[in-house]
Amino acid sequence: MKNKALIVAVSEFTTLVQSKAFLIGLLMMPVFMGVAMGVQRFTRDSTDIKDRPFVVVDRSGALLGPLQAAADAWNRASEGAGTRTQPRFLPSAGSFEAGDEQARAALSDRVKRDEIYAFVEIPADVLNPDTTSSISYYSNHPGYRVLPSWIEATANREILNQRFRSASIDRAVVNRLTQRVEVSQLGLIAREAGGGIRAATKVDRVRTTAIPLGMMMILLFSVMSSAPQLLNSVIEEKMSRISEVLIGSITPYELMMGKLLGSAAVSVLLAMIYVSGGVFMANRYGYGDAIRATDLAWLFLFLSMSVMMFGSIFITIGAACTDLKDAQGMMTPAMLLLMLPWLTWFSIINAPESPMSIALSLFPTATPFLMLMRIAIPPGPPVWQIALGVVLTTITAIGFVYAAGKIFRTGLLMQGKAATFGEMWKWVRAD
Amino acid sequence: MPAVTTAIRLSGVSKKFNGIPAVDGLTLAIPTGSIYGFIGPNGSGKTTTLRMIMHLLLPDEGQIEVLGSAQTVAARDRVSYLPEERGLYKKMAVRRLLRYYGRLKGRSLAELDPAIDEWLARLGMDGWGERKIDTLSKGMTQKVQFVAAVVSKPDLLILDEPFSGLDPVNAEALKDSVLEIRRRGTTVVFSTHDMATAEKMCDRIFMIFRGRKVLDGTLQEIQAQYGFDTIRLRTAAGAPILDGMAGVESVNDYGQLQEVRVSGDPQQFLQQLAARTAVHHFEITRPSLHDIFVRIARPTEA
Repeated sequence: MKNKALIVAVSEFTTLVQSKAFLIGLLMMPVFMGVAMGVQRFTRDSTDIKDRPFVVVDRSGALLGPLQAAADAWNRASEGAGTRTQPRFLPSAGSFEAGDEQARAALSDRVKRDEIYAFVEIPADVLNPDTTSSISYYSNHPGYRVLPSWIEATANREILNQRFRSASIDRAVVNRLTQRVEVSQLGLIAREAGGGIRAATKVDRVRTTAIPLGMMMILLFSVMSSAPQLLNSVIEEKMSRISEVLIGSITPYELMMGKLLGSAAVSVLLAMIYVSGGVFMANRYGYGDAIRATDLAWLFLFLSMSVMMFGSIFITIGAACTDLKDAQGMMTPAMLLLMLPWLTWFSIINAPESPMSIALSLFPTATPFLMLMRIAIPPGPPVWQIALGVVLTTITAIGFVYAAGKIFRTGLLMQGKAATFGEMWKWVRAD
Repeated sequence: MPAVTTAIRLSGVSKKFNGIPAVDGLTLAIPTGSIYGFIGPNGSGKTTTLRMIMHLLLPDEGQIEVLGSAQTVAARDRVSYLPEERGLYKKMAVRRLLRYYGRLKGRSLAELDPAIDEWLARLGMDGWGERKIDTLSKGMTQKVQFVAAVVSKPDLLILDEPFSGLDPVNAEALKDSVLEIRRRGTTVVFSTHDMATAEKMCDRIFMIFRGRKVLDGTLQEIQAQYGFDTIRLRTAAGAPILDGMAGVESVNDYGQLQEVRVSGDPQQFLQQLAARTAVHHFEITRPSLHDIFVRIARPTEA
């Protein structure tokens, strides 16, 4: 007898790779990454260069001059290569008594009329080391941090200089004595086959962050591009009564397995395309050796497991619902499970050995994604954790496929109303 | 394998949904090579019966044997099923869909391709193989459904309302195809609400009502149960002349023609009628299948 599950798998595969969803899935990751890089570059290159005139009311009499000099230097630097990359800071002198609220209001009006961008009040005792007063910065652009930060840094630098001078301490000496010492993060020294020693290399963030994250994302996008499609496919078959025709030719279990295999094949194809692109880019930028064959083997193993798990979940939802509207409510917990690795990868990258990272990477639906990341971050987790993760995930995947088979068998031919979780549990327990 | 003379045998089959019987103690034997019509009002249990035969539903009680096997799953590849109206992937091209369904019945592409070409040509769909299903008209879609059911050369073909919604030309083409596949040895079971089609095409007719079998036999056998109790007549005055006439039990008015059941002597009724209006046609006959159907089903539909 021909393997009917395989016939279904081939049909599902052909349908999926010809669908718009596949094309979107294929482009999703490069587009997503491209957009992220593009946005970064855009925000870096497209800074706000509007002039920032501001009034300085310097009651100390010591800071206006240095601020103006620093602003000149800033403005010259910002026009370095002929194209301005930063706004010009244009301080001007102002004067009023500390208690003169009318004067403050008048300056505020000028800000509102866009004649000036802000105004600053520097208290008279600002040079006194025991002062408790602060420099006040007034503006109606609270979100713009560049100018107040610059004023704070520039004023403090000058205040410290003047305080050191008053105390007859040479600032240059202080700077030299307070020079910070950097901690250089290195790998380990390696013993070579001939008995030689290979020097330790500096820890490279591309190897410890970008590659593990990239692998996790390949896995996630590959699963997301195919598994949820199973829900649409099952609902279409139910609504169009195709399932009745199919079940007249094939057992529900064969049909479900065919769908899962087809979906897995699509995920593997997507992952292979992504991995090829990744390897190409890694080689181009000199990181070819950072992508290990064993890591890729883990990626494809975990990919198969996650497609089985999430495919079963989405098939179950499709079989239990009668239309896409019904399915929306049930989709939420499934999507949360699928998004869990995306929501937690940051803590794994920062502390792969923390109890939190270990616990998350042993949570079966997250294991394929997070354990893969931990494996890709040198030196990788202990073998027992990998083995435990694989065992738990395998048991979960088998359990999901088993339960999905039972629910699929009954739900597929059910019309009219969506099944409740209680009904589904009853179907799973039925002989 | 010995020839099986009964394609489908149901013995005491019952099925309930939420405690309400959909099929109740149904016993039926469908001879191999016959065309068997299932009739009955909506919700009477026709589709449930067809689904149990297809193993889509399991009976609560009783036994079902299909093509000699009590395990209806075993006969799966030899049985084809056409659900009412739908059952096709909208975005799939016709040939791909027909190949897919055929392959699921265990046929090879070498067997399927000539059969697909033959049936598409027979149904006037030459060159439609690459068209997507959602670009086809309803009639064309129904013909594709039919081809999907027959390309695997089934021994038993089960059709749920195959003629509903078809224009006369497409209905004629589908009727010829059903007869052709029967000539090739396939047993055909179909459900229909079109009594004229059932009368003309079926070797035997089975009526189910409230889950129970109420009719089963050839048209002649069924009509014989009712005798010559129907008068078909056409008069100058039409149906209104029958109002208040003595002995008239029921009138089925077709506009130009009325079917009347009377108590007492039909000759006396004729004399009475002729005294009132010009009688153009007066025929004492057996009731039509439509009339029998209505007589059984009307009390509940009122």
